[in-house]
Amino acid sequence: MGNLKGIFRAGAIAAGASMALGLGAARADEIVVGASLPLSGALAGFGSFQQWGYKRAVDEVNKAGGISIGGTRQMVKLIIRDDKTDPNATASNTETLISRDKVVAMLGSCTPALVNAGALVAERAKKPMVTGCDPLEVFMSVRKWNYVWDIFFSVPELAAAQFKALADLGVQTNKKIAIWHDNGPDGQAVGGKIWPALAKEFGYEVVQNAEFPVDNTQFTSIIAEAKSKGAEVVLGDAITPQAIAIRKQMASAGYTPKILNIEKGAEPVQFAEALGKISDGIFVGGYWDPSFPYPGAADLAKAFESETKLTSSQHIADSYAAAQVLLDAIKAAGSTDPEKINAAIAKTDKTYVVGPVKFDENHTAKLPIVSLQWQGGKTVIVWPKSAKTGELLFPLP
Amino acid sequence: MSDVGTVLSTIISGMLLGGMLALTALGLSIVLGVMRLVNLAHGDFLVVGAYAGLFFLKFTGVDPLLGLPVIALFVAALVVPLYGLLLAPLGERGAEAQMMTMFAVSIILENVFVLAFSADTRSIERDYATLPLTLGSVTVPLIYVIGFAIAVSLILAVHWLISKTRFGRDLRASAADAQAAETLGVDVKRVQMATFALGAACAGVGGTLIGAAFQFGPSSGAAYLLNSLAIVVLGGLGNVLGTLVGGLMLGFLQSLGGLTLGDGYRDLVGMALFLLVLAFRPDGFLARRRS
Repeated sequence: MGNLKGIFRAGAIAAGASMALGLGAARADEIVVGASLPLSGALAGFGSFQQWGYKRAVDEVNKAGGISIGGTRQMVKLIIRDDKTDPNATASNTETLISRDKVVAMLGSCTPALVNAGALVAERAKKPMVTGCDPLEVFMSVRKWNYVWDIFFSVPELAAAQFKALADLGVQTNKKIAIWHDNGPDGQAVGGKIWPALAKEFGYEVVQNAEFPVDNTQFTSIIAEAKSKGAEVVLGDAITPQAIAIRKQMASAGYTPKILNIEKGAEPVQFAEALGKISDGIFVGGYWDPSFPYPGAADLAKAFESETKLTSSQHIADSYAAAQVLLDAIKAAGSTDPEKINAAIAKTDKTYVVGPVKFDENHTAKLPIVSLQWQGGKTVIVWPKSAKTGELLFPLP
Repeated sequence: MSDVGTVLSTIISGMLLGGMLALTALGLSIVLGVMRLVNLAHGDFLVVGAYAGLFFLKFTGVDPLLGLPVIALFVAALVVPLYGLLLAPLGERGAEAQMMTMFAVSIILENVFVLAFSADTRSIERDYATLPLTLGSVTVPLIYVIGFAIAVSLILAVHWLISKTRFGRDLRASAADAQAAETLGVDVKRVQMATFALGAACAGVGGTLIGAAFQFGPSSGAAYLLNSLAIVVLGGLGNVLGTLVGGLMLGFLQSLGGLTLGDGYRDLVGMALFLLVLAFRPDGFLARRRS
């Protein structure tokens, strides 16, 4: 029944989403690009920011008169389909974008499961795709890419950031670590392999390493075990609903380690909004902040906040940059031929809002990492010291 | 190997949570008993209750637990037109047509939640929802204790309503044989409407408790629907007190699953138990002691 329900539901939502977004056939004088995004479901917190970033980049190009293709100015049409945080829907949306919507190129979804699902379809159809939101090593592990390009952070660098930050900031703990991670590709890579190795390297003792399904909601046993083992440092890797559940259940179990770092799920603002004051002091790795010294960084966050009345997220930056890279490549190619666009993406060498973007032989461009901490509903950079925008809150309140 | 404090804390927490979830399951159970309807939108009624609690707090500043009667009435009033417009006309066509209708309602509600409230994950922020209650080496979440107490009180109240009042007599008669009850003068459609509203109210109150204890979003209903089904099967269809026992049992066994296999396997344990009971005791563990 559950499966049947899921199938009907996915179908109905896809139909509803198509109608809601007013999708239509491509016109000859338009350059059609598309994306499948998690606008609903567990990752909707990421999808809404990405949608804004993609749309802004396209709107800017259109406001400037579009892109010249064969001597004719053409407007860019962006088609976004909701994948409801379901990789199967991402794959089918990507098929639809290619076959029905006739896109010339695409932008990616968010998190490895969704991005890779769409990327594999794009690769098979030989349509270029530029994406963010897919940690580089996980992206590279899927296959040798020819048409898909990823602008994001390196997993080992992000995983190491918290250890380096703790060392640089000189915080004192009993060096006992509990690692909690979901069983998604990045959760397994970070929590299952990289963190345990780094813990050893930095002189920590891993007293617990617990894995759970991505959609798990109960963490009672995991929390009780970490508490009984006296872990003063907790490193978590979970999506937002689970990250919220973890923090609430830690508080109600009376477990307050000195350091709590939750990768991935603690990024969006809804994390802090749902938790209120108990979000204070939680660390999360970051790859962008409006304070970064790159062109347009501060303006991008201001534009988002004035348009939406919401607090900005770093996901507006990688999505905006990914869209700009793709649009610049179409401009440089002067053509809607996917092969020419793909060749132009490969030549990208420019500083965008996220920093310099130049792809390597693995089709990846690496973003710098900082350590963010939630304080009063906003994130501040607490590491590295050269980039810091606020004082460290220690221990976890 | 976990220490005694950890084991006791986990099991007691699980049973308190199971009791809390039994309230939502009770709503599903009475609708199933009286209307022969597996209400596939029941989990979404729970989400309505969670949003209602969130916005009740936001707009009135009053604690949502104090507003539970208002929330229960609100959710009940919301579903009465659903019954009148969608379910009652299908009464002659069997439970399948009504079930598929509620399936469609479930899809529509999820999309309405996204459009109205965004797809963001929410939680009802209350201090008592993040406080522990410690007794010796045992620590349980205070919100579980509060939720359990409210759920048990309401379950007992529903038990009294069904076993001691005229409405309860009509409800039981309609559940046993709707045609015979109608012949004897029971307004079965009215009873069904009231039962449907009562079931939704139980889900709504459960939703506010869940919203305070955990997090929720537009698509959170499905997981709670599954849990509720398991509790109903464990406790026995239409058995009010059995539902409470079913909830406690599911909580206990899920906690054991969490302790031995890890928290990620709680639902696996619950669903395995659900299938076992369906196979060997389809009327539930307390089938002989129906209220």
